[in-house]
Amino acid sequence: MEIRLGSFFLAAALLSGCSWFHRGERPQNQVVAEDTGADPSVIEPQVTRRAVKTPKIKAKDFEIGAYFGALSIQDFGVNPVYGARLAYHISEDVFFEALLGTSKAGTTSLEDEFPDITVISDAGRRFTYYDLDLGYNVLPGEVFIGRGRAFNSQLYVTVGMGDVKFAETDQFALNFGVGERLLITDWLALHLDVRDHIFETSLTGRTKNTDNIEATLGLTTFF
Amino acid sequence: MRRLLACVLLLTALCVDFAVGAEHRLELVVTAPYLEMHSGPGRGYPVIYVIGRDERVTVLYSRTDWYKVRAPEGQEGWARRTDLASTLLPSGAAAPIPPYPDFASHRWEVGAGYGVYYRENLVTSYADFGLTDSIDVEAVLQQALGTLDNRVVATIGLRHTFIPEWKWISPTAGLGTGYQHIADKEPPAPRQSDNQLAYVSLGVRGFITRRFMWRADWRHYVVFNNLNVYEDLEEWKFGLAVFF
Repeated sequence: MEIRLGSFFLAAALLSGCSWFHRGERPQNQVVAEDTGADPSVIEPQVTRRAVKTPKIKAKDFEIGAYFGALSIQDFGVNPVYGARLAYHISEDVFFEALLGTSKAGTTSLEDEFPDITVISDAGRRFTYYDLDLGYNVLPGEVFIGRGRAFNSQLYVTVGMGDVKFAETDQFALNFGVGERLLITDWLALHLDVRDHIFETSLTGRTKNTDNIEATLGLTTFF
Repeated sequence: MRRLLACVLLLTALCVDFAVGAEHRLELVVTAPYLEMHSGPGRGYPVIYVIGRDERVTVLYSRTDWYKVRAPEGQEGWARRTDLASTLLPSGAAAPIPPYPDFASHRWEVGAGYGVYYRENLVTSYADFGLTDSIDVEAVLQQALGTLDNRVVATIGLRHTFIPEWKWISPTAGLGTGYQHIADKEPPAPRQSDNQLAYVSLGVRGFITRRFMWRADWRHYVVFNNLNVYEDLEEWKFGLAVFF
């Protein structure tokens, strides 16, 4: 009886030991290889292919910036002007440009002479404009400063139209401009512009076309 | 206006940050005998460096038809689009230099122009999306500036290009609806300053070069009002546009 009981426990211990050993030693892929009936000596590579993503080339055809300068409002003196510029370069020669600027008119010589006379109200002295222009880089080149520094530059002309709000009324305006774009780096540019806003007005008595010339200095960045 | 300027300056600063921050760049292998690098993005700028065959060039960004590139030794310059298109990726595949969009099947268009609307000077801008090669959705925002009043007109409509394959000049026709706001300049004031309107249009379009095109349009508007007499207006305009 004792022998029988001893051999039973021995058999149980051996079985459980074998099963433990079996569980610990057999790797998972070996089981798969046996299950599929494949040659166990060939190891299936489990390498996931890395997706190669080609980087995109960023286009920097837009130019945005701000400018500051002086605007000569015909009959109303020379006044500070500031504005914002957005441009899109279509080719190395041609670009579209949108400008938004504002200034405040001074007094006419009549108002200076006779302080009681007011040609336009105080609120009406605000001069605000937008322009939609087409520009052409006529003289691309380089500017040399000292012996070792060269900056790319473009002399351009612009022509366009827009709206001028002056004396609290909107007027259609034509613009003609010439400017110099000096590239401090390839993405930062300094602008020197002279622009004429031509529009019709009858503020000073008779209806006439007025030339309102502005000279500005601006800074833009390409993006 | 000051807020707008502040926004522009902030955006400028962000653009500067983007310009400095980007790192992951495209590398291409030169297959021609050499690749020329110019000092600026234009045909007149002098060649300052050349990269030899089988050497790698890093592409930084593009401006119009020119690509800012960096040579293996670190020199930077501008390469022409056509020259860069002949290079290969390190894997041997063709360089991902996008071709110009096909004019006949382009999808997006943005443009501006001049016109006359009811005897008033018209400043017009538009955006256009091609549903198919011949049918577009066109959204227009324009300002008419006259001696008696100023008007803001916004419209949306469909336009059909009869033969989109005709490159230099191709007829179009369209119809749509919109809204008009009249700001009075001289008395008498309009009895109704906000109107809905509908239009039919005939026009032509044509290719100029690369991504550049022109359009000319004539429109007949019917302005709806509650005065029992519908107003008929005519408009013609000419514009230049960029297509993508």
